[in-house]
Amino acid sequence: MQNLNLLTPEIALCLLGLGLMLADLLLSVRRARLLYHLAWFSCLVALGLVLYAPSWAGAIPGGGALWVVDHMSQFFKAVVLICAILALMLSLPYKPLPDAQAGTFSALLLFSTAGMMFLVSATDLLLVFVALELISLSSFVLAGFERRNRKSNEGAIKYFLFGAFSSAIMVYGISLYYAAMGTTHLTAVGPASPALALAMLFILLGFGFKAAMAPMHFWVPDAYEGAPTPVTTFLSVAPKIATMGVLARVFMVLVPASGMQMTVLLALLAMLTMTVGNTIAIYQDNVKRMLAYSSVAQAGYILIGIVSGNALGLEGVLLYSAVYVAMNVGAFAVVQAVGEHEGSYGLKSFDGLSRRCLPVALVMAVFLLSLAGIPPLAGFIGKFYLFASAIDAGRAAGSGSLIFYALALVGVLNSVVSVFYYMKIVYHMFFLPPRQKEGGAPALAVGPYIYGCLAVTLAAVLFFGLWPESLIAHVKFSAQHLP
Amino acid sequence: MNILSLITFLPLAGALLVLGLPKESKRAVQIVALLSSGLTLVLSVGLYFLFDRHTSSMQFVERLPWIPSIGVQYFLGVDGLSYPLVLLTALMSFVSLVASLNIVNRVKEYFFWFLILEVGMLGVFVSLDLVLFYVFWEITLVPMYFLIGIWGGPKKEYAAIKFFLYTLTGSVFMLLGILAVYFKSDPHTFDLLVLLQAHPDWSARFQILIFLAFYLGFAVKVPAFPFHTWLPLAHVEAPTAVSVVLAAVLLKMGVYGIMRVSYGMLPLGFQWFLPFLVIIAVINIVYGALCAMAQTDMKKMVAYSSINHMGYCLLGIAGLTVTGFSGAMLQMINHGLITGMLFILVGVIYDRAHTRDINAFGGLAAKVPLYAGLMSLACFASLGLPGLAGFVSELLCFLGAFARWKVYTAISVIGILTTAAFFLRMIEKVFLGPLNPKWDKLTDLDAREVCALLPLVILTILLGIYPKPALDLMNATVLHMASLLK
Repeated sequence: MQNLNLLTPEIALCLLGLGLMLADLLLSVRRARLLYHLAWFSCLVALGLVLYAPSWAGAIPGGGALWVVDHMSQFFKAVVLICAILALMLSLPYKPLPDAQAGTFSALLLFSTAGMMFLVSATDLLLVFVALELISLSSFVLAGFERRNRKSNEGAIKYFLFGAFSSAIMVYGISLYYAAMGTTHLTAVGPASPALALAMLFILLGFGFKAAMAPMHFWVPDAYEGAPTPVTTFLSVAPKIATMGVLARVFMVLVPASGMQMTVLLALLAMLTMTVGNTIAIYQDNVKRMLAYSSVAQAGYILIGIVSGNALGLEGVLLYSAVYVAMNVGAFAVVQAVGEHEGSYGLKSFDGLSRRCLPVALVMAVFLLSLAGIPPLAGFIGKFYLFASAIDAGRAAGSGSLIFYALALVGVLNSVVSVFYYMKIVYHMFFLPPRQKEGGAPALAVGPYIYGCLAVTLAAVLFFGLWPESLIAHVKFSAQHLP
Repeated sequence: MNILSLITFLPLAGALLVLGLPKESKRAVQIVALLSSGLTLVLSVGLYFLFDRHTSSMQFVERLPWIPSIGVQYFLGVDGLSYPLVLLTALMSFVSLVASLNIVNRVKEYFFWFLILEVGMLGVFVSLDLVLFYVFWEITLVPMYFLIGIWGGPKKEYAAIKFFLYTLTGSVFMLLGILAVYFKSDPHTFDLLVLLQAHPDWSARFQILIFLAFYLGFAVKVPAFPFHTWLPLAHVEAPTAVSVVLAAVLLKMGVYGIMRVSYGMLPLGFQWFLPFLVIIAVINIVYGALCAMAQTDMKKMVAYSSINHMGYCLLGIAGLTVTGFSGAMLQMINHGLITGMLFILVGVIYDRAHTRDINAFGGLAAKVPLYAGLMSLACFASLGLPGLAGFVSELLCFLGAFARWKVYTAISVIGILTTAAFFLRMIEKVFLGPLNPKWDKLTDLDAREVCALLPLVILTILLGIYPKPALDLMNATVLHMASLLK
């Protein structure tokens, strides 16, 4: 029952990460950027191993019952690896990263990714905890990688303190779980006892920290603002998606929230997360912070699917995770290009972007509209699925249906609120004239890596928006055969 | 033959082509835009000769699976309700593009967004799948936001975002309604034609709830009181051509939605709401007219008169008679033509005088006779002078509603009187009396403006004298609709 061969992609990724650290010692600083290429190639190898794993039926447990490999875990692993590849692509042209530490940087990113891959497979709380720590510890360092930037230090410290705190809570929750169940293995439970409910609540808070759910989101704006932009991009998608993957597994499959009477609590958390994220984002004048709050809100949308707890909800979680990666990475890529060019991530940096570089401004508008859920872009399809799952759950719930309808209602109203601040960026890009500098307004220079990133993500957003069936078929396939 | 797809997506092809052109070649951009929109117009007119007037079923149907896993189809078709609106959309878009040839600022982007807007508007009227309908419905928001926000007046940014948020708020409720009927139907479907037959199984409570959800979406677009506050602002700030399509086409989407979706799909909800609908119609008519009366800004006046005119549509619908439905549908077309004309004319004077204040002018009739003549014609048509298009449809709306709602119809007549009053007052203040010497240098209409106005003028007169061709298009569908509630 060990089935260690199922872990080939993770093992390969860790080994390649270690190899990168060694290669860092051998390569001269001048050629250190080569390491980023090696790093994304490593992710590509792992992706290949995930995608071309021998076909199997259903779910295969491994390490006793520590982890399980099934279509859903493979789906999330693939998505997380794609996030890592895109983030590494964005790291290549990012200047504030010290060349001398290129190996450390990319290795840490790989380790973090490996942690996420473990996380989405985990069926035992011990592995969940270890995987979360692997993600967190690597991410803390990544967030503080701009050593000379005080904001980076501040963000990393906050991130670390919050992370340590929530880890402690989570461990406490795990110990309670063990006390109640006599095992750390996540299984379908019988009647809910108070200890178990408390345990699940604490565990949920631990997850909430990684997924940046309100009220565990306070580290997000500072860490996102201070972190090097490629790291922000990575942190805003990969850990969130991975946590949503494990949340879906835990609260929809292994220990169903409905069986624990936690549906209402989760629904309220989802509403709170959406509302807090969207409302505070309105008041931001730094685009990185704005998108940080937006990513909080986006986690709330994904939670709708988990609360619904039906097949449509699970598919919605998978679907939205995938499209969220495309649109959010795309938006951050533009932010990085503009921010590096202007030396500031303030909203004012976007003034008149449409006249300095129309294609980039249009592409950014597409990503923002997709994040806001305007059809016919991919974000709309994702949200459509999530709201549909809530309505479906309400229809099936009978007397307890009100909470689901309320959830859907809060969800759609939040989409309206979000339009307000997403359009604020559009307003700066299209409505305002470029700020005058000496020698006229300089055109925006965008490097090949960022263009590549934009091309891939834009293609995904448009393609999955106009032809969603291709992705939905995949998602449907991945969401079946759960243990 | 995929004629409807061709009509809908030709402007999209034009938009993409425009995007590929260099920023400097303004002439090329204009030619591409006019060509793609013109081709759409030609095809829509061509459909006029193929359209079967004796059936109420959908014609030129196209049906392809789009998202089969949840049963979303790419499903297009037109009938007597939607085809006239397709024709109106194609015509008004083309006219507005002609009217926008004087845009000098950021030409490429302007025409790009305008063509995208046309795609959205056409798509709303031809789609028969609720998700597709919603997608097109939302597509219209984004280009409108840009068109108002970049090329608009002093408060354009505020008007743009207000328009966007207002309409989006309404339409997300519609989205919830769409999802609710999807899960209620068995088997689950978004197919509008199937859903139109599904209501006998639905409880009155469900229908009322869903009716309200859809109504919120449509009422904002109409705009029905009290959801009308975005309209005067958006109209006043939007550039001329955008005001034209906003009034001529976008408002019709709301009425179309009520007639197509709410009325047919949720009859119990509709009947429950009917007393409220007629009150809202009366408020729209009277209140809209009184607000228009209070304006000194011509554009704002025309904007409020739109609220008044859309009230006639609602009143006609509330009559639930063949006459009322025909009146409402004809009123949509006529209001599109007439208000389009009015907005272009107001834009003409604003371009020259840089003011729209009624009190700033005087005696212009002697200076710009052609302009004065056309403006008077448009005003008379709008206030319902017999012999011009507005009269026919307003009469039909009143006739249709009178049988059921005698008192309300009587109150609505106040609206007609007020409309006459403010239009006549405007004509008097602007065109009659001694010439204000400040406007000595004012020039009359130029070729571009005449070209844009001419088709509208001809149609307004034609439909006023002989409305039969338009009514014939609608007849079979109207008869079918009126028979539904028997």
